[in-house]
Amino acid sequence: MAKNEITNQIRRLRFENSEMTQQQLADKVGVTRQTIIAIEASKYSPSLSLGFRIAKIFGVHIEDVFQYEGGNS
Amino acid sequence: MNQTKVESWLYFFLGLACFLIPGGVAVFIAYDRGISFAPVFMFTGIVIWGGLFWLFPFTFGKLGKGKKKVSFDERDQLIHKKAVMAAYVVLWLYFVAACVIAWCIVGPHGSISVNVMPLTLLGGLVIFTLVQGLASLIQYGRGGKDGEK
Repeated sequence: MAKNEITNQIRRLRFENSEMTQQQLADKVGVTRQTIIAIEASKYSPSLSLGFRIAKIFGVHIEDVFQYEGGNS
Repeated sequence: MNQTKVESWLYFFLGLACFLIPGGVAVFIAYDRGISFAPVFMFTGIVIWGGLFWLFPFTFGKLGKGKKKVSFDERDQLIHKKAVMAAYVVLWLYFVAACVIAWCIVGPHGSISVNVMPLTLLGGLVIFTLVQGLASLIQYGRGGKDGEK
């Protein structure tokens, strides 16, 4: 199984936003805390709508939350 | 542990129990009375399986009341979908194996009892549930351990 090529800054953004907990972020975007954990660990790539919802919660662009690190194939 | 994961564990142990409990009862009765245990096995499995499936909606309905947090999101849906697909693949392989093994045992000119048909159906149901639970647990396990809050 290929390593997930998408990384994120969710943990840093949570701490920068009043030290938001994973549960609080999960409640705001409408998912479970386990999903937020999996996203932060790059074990799960969220859907486009979930990605945009997370970015909107932090008040940043989606590119500031998720980064694609895949090289040329 | 979210509700879907709890259900997956239950499906897994339920599938195991449906192999062990009827099997134990059947062996005991067959040893004690020297009778054919195929009808006993079938009846016991159907009673246990059907009874528990009938009870599950009432149990989980009561457990889920009052909870306002999300318990089944897009990731759970994806895991569930993949687990069901894996269960259907194994079910198909089980069906193929049942047909081939029966032919190998009795030969091209032999015959088997009609009681084998509902037994095969029950076995497929058990295997489907077992594989679905196992596939869900494996996918949740790959999702990483619970992290810091």
